[in-house]
Amino acid sequence: MKVYLGELEELVLLTISVLGDNAYGVSIQQELESRCNRTISIGALHSTITRLEEKGFLKSWVGGATAERGGRSKRFYDITQAGKKALTEAKDLRDQLWDLSKIKLASR
Amino acid sequence: MKIEPPKLAQKLFDWYAGFAKVDDLRGDMDEWFYHNAKTKSISIARRIYWKQVLSLIFSYALRKRKRNSQSGIYSSNAISLSMIRNYIKVAMRNLYQYRYFTLLNAFGLAIGMSISLLLISMYGYISTSDNFHTNGDHIYTIISKKTEGFEEGNFASSPIVLAEKLKEEFNDAREVVRVNASFEGEVVREKENIHIHGYFVDQSFLSVFTFPILSGNMESALSKPNTVVLTESAAIKFFGSIDVVGKVIELKEQGSYEITGVLKDYSKNTHFKFEALVSYATLPPTQSLSIDQWTEYRDQFIYVLLKDSAPIKGLQSYLSQIEKNIYSNSSVKVNFSLLALDEIITSDLYNALGPKWETSGFIVFGAIALLILLPACFNYTNISIARALKRSKEIGLRKTMGGVKSQIFFQFITETVVICLISLVGACGLFLLMRDEFQSMLVEASVLDLSITLKTATLFVAFALLTGLMAGLFPAMYFAGLNPIEALKNKVSSRALSGMRIRKGLTIFQFALSFCFILSLIVFGRQYRTLLNFDFGFQKENIVNVNLQEVKPELLKTELEKLSVVQSVSLSSGSPGLSNSTTWVNTTDKDSVQVSQLFIDSDFLENFKLKLILGKNFPEAVSADERYCIVNEQFLINNKIALEDGVGRTLLVDSMEIQIIGVVKNFHYAPPQIPIGNFIFRNNPVYYTQANVLVDVSDVFGTFTMLENSWQKLSDNTKLEAAFFKDELNDSYQVYRLLLKMAGFLGLLAISISILGLLGMVVYTAENRVKEVSIRKVLGASAFGITMLLSRDYLKLIIWSIAIGIPLAIGIYETVFTRIPDYHANLTVLDVVLGAFGLISLGLITIASQTYKTALSNPADTLKTE
Repeated sequence: MKVYLGELEELVLLTISVLGDNAYGVSIQQELESRCNRTISIGALHSTITRLEEKGFLKSWVGGATAERGGRSKRFYDITQAGKKALTEAKDLRDQLWDLSKIKLASR
Repeated sequence: MKIEPPKLAQKLFDWYAGFAKVDDLRGDMDEWFYHNAKTKSISIARRIYWKQVLSLIFSYALRKRKRNSQSGIYSSNAISLSMIRNYIKVAMRNLYQYRYFTLLNAFGLAIGMSISLLLISMYGYISTSDNFHTNGDHIYTIISKKTEGFEEGNFASSPIVLAEKLKEEFNDAREVVRVNASFEGEVVREKENIHIHGYFVDQSFLSVFTFPILSGNMESALSKPNTVVLTESAAIKFFGSIDVVGKVIELKEQGSYEITGVLKDYSKNTHFKFEALVSYATLPPTQSLSIDQWTEYRDQFIYVLLKDSAPIKGLQSYLSQIEKNIYSNSSVKVNFSLLALDEIITSDLYNALGPKWETSGFIVFGAIALLILLPACFNYTNISIARALKRSKEIGLRKTMGGVKSQIFFQFITETVVICLISLVGACGLFLLMRDEFQSMLVEASVLDLSITLKTATLFVAFALLTGLMAGLFPAMYFAGLNPIEALKNKVSSRALSGMRIRKGLTIFQFALSFCFILSLIVFGRQYRTLLNFDFGFQKENIVNVNLQEVKPELLKTELEKLSVVQSVSLSSGSPGLSNSTTWVNTTDKDSVQVSQLFIDSDFLENFKLKLILGKNFPEAVSADERYCIVNEQFLINNKIALEDGVGRTLLVDSMEIQIIGVVKNFHYAPPQIPIGNFIFRNNPVYYTQANVLVDVSDVFGTFTMLENSWQKLSDNTKLEAAFFKDELNDSYQVYRLLLKMAGFLGLLAISISILGLLGMVVYTAENRVKEVSIRKVLGASAFGITMLLSRDYLKLIIWSIAIGIPLAIGIYETVFTRIPDYHANLTVLDVVLGAFGLISLGLITIASQTYKTALSNPADTLKTE
């Protein structure tokens, strides 16, 4: 694996892909919290997003201001091709390991 | 309560974020806030908002956004190697483009740094003193501070009984070494005697200190009385070889010593200085009263080698215990303390063993070096900021293209450092030129080695870098802080002008300093000249003083009188005009008075052209008992004896009755600064030490050869010791010659630096005002008028600096110069005028050379492009 993908990074990437067109700060945080049942600070989330952007896995653009935001614009995120590739590689690696491991998924 | 996010938190966030793009983050937080306020409560929502703000402030996300806001996407704060290479390349190009200024700056800084290099190399050498002893870390010397009793002060020496007590009672000491520095004598040899000096030391000296032995037994070399260990070079000096163990060295009037070892020549960088080490057992055992032993410590030194684990505190408390026991009932009070081996050479103590370099001297030297270095740095700062106008476009463009403050800062610092490294080369050249001269000024020069080593070279480079930082910090910060819009529009002039006042102040300060140097040079110079031409009241030309040594005075006199070149010969106990001895005289009816005296024979007065105003000279016949004396006028006046009554009076001198047979006209028997007081000439052959030979000087070499030949007839194992009296006299003013040289040299440096600074500023103005000058010329101004116009501002500066310099110089004169003993020359109005005139004319030449050139420029050339 060329680029290391952290656990939170992987989660954030997947969440963004789940959210599709509506992936911005608040929605990502809410989605993560509701799915994983864990609180994550806004600083940690944005740091992760920043690092993912640096690695080239995410792209972002500014758009859609709403009244409940005090008229401030949102920054939307989407996964890049590189991001998809990194996710796939991570998944492949896990699948391989699952196949080789003694724990049989079916038996659960 | 209005439902809105906490204001303070928002403000904090905005302040911290600065120019970073954080709109989306603020929006997210607001969204969360309103959401929480609806679902939970307002206070919880506020608390969460605060938490989010803090979490973001400490997050990497915001840091990264802030960084991005500072610079374009292509710039980065990280200083990489390629960036530094780029800085250096740009610096080189800039320096090359403004060659003239670079040269001026480099030259000025080189001069400024040269003195500091001397200081650094000296410090570098001395800081490693005594570091070659393998046990060095555990060796301490005991110094005594006498707080009550005769001769108070800090002494490097200590009572020698203390060493014996330490040996008996103090267990933590591995070794205690006694050193007595009084070994001195003349080695008797066939041809001539040679002076030798050294120490009486314990056997353990050789094992405690690291002085490697070449031959002989290190363990027992100094255990027996009358044994001596020579250094390699001493052995060669006395015997011509180093194979001397077992031989005997004979000292005049001190007996003979057996040579038991030869030491390798040791490094000069130590506080020891000896040619020979003699066993301590040679000294007779001390027999004085026990309390006297504790108050006697001249020339006696104690070194203690502590056991590796022993704390130095233990020794200290032991010493204070001894102080209490010994000195409790004594009129003398002494405090003992310890000094580590490597600190000895820089300590400020009386009666030190060998060479010493007091820290106080270093401070004075350092102050002088700074006084020379700082103006040079000021100049650099000055010129750099003055050129801000020219370079502001460059900086504005760099900033617009995304250059960050720190990049511009480093660019300018690099430029300064490069200049400083260039000037370091020049400074090293100057350093090499000055080094020998400098060493010849120092008393301890023979033990100072100022050659450039790896260590000093490193220190030099570090110093150059530091100077670069110092000189370049202000301009670099100034340029880095320029507003790009103003810089591009050429609007920085207003800010540059605010710096103008500082620059003027600095220039004035420099010239005031130079003015002080010029004045002190004038004063020292006159002092020296006055002394050289001082009228002592006797003649000092053409007299050669011959040291009698062991030759019979009368024999030498008759022998010398045979020579054709010799006009007359007299004998005396010393030379007039130099120091001489004193005694007490009783005029029989009063208390005794102190008088200075000189023993002479009957030819002396004639030889030195001293005038007898009454009575007669000493009789020519030599008599064993002293019967007559000649006094000076002052003696009679001071003792209220009428001139006529003087001759024939009887005086009681050294419990002898002596009759005054003559009165001599007053003359300076002592150096000029000592006023003429009581003086008598006595006539006793026992005290003669020299022959004063009045010679024909048409052939000095021939004369000395003849004297030499006559001397050889009388003494075959000594050499002729003769010198012109006038030279001896002038040599006693050597301190003034040194001061003169030093003031002259420092003055030269200070003046060159200020002239260079002035030149830089004038060149800059002249360049900047070229167009103004051309227009004035077109409109009919004369070249002279323009020169005056351009020069006026700078002339004003010089006048100001003189106005400030005069009270400064007078202050220095009053506080420093008048404290130098035997000070004669005064600071006169003429000196001040002369100094001012010199400074103004120097400044004028500098200014005019540039302004006149500008004034002569052809308006057609400069206005062509408009």
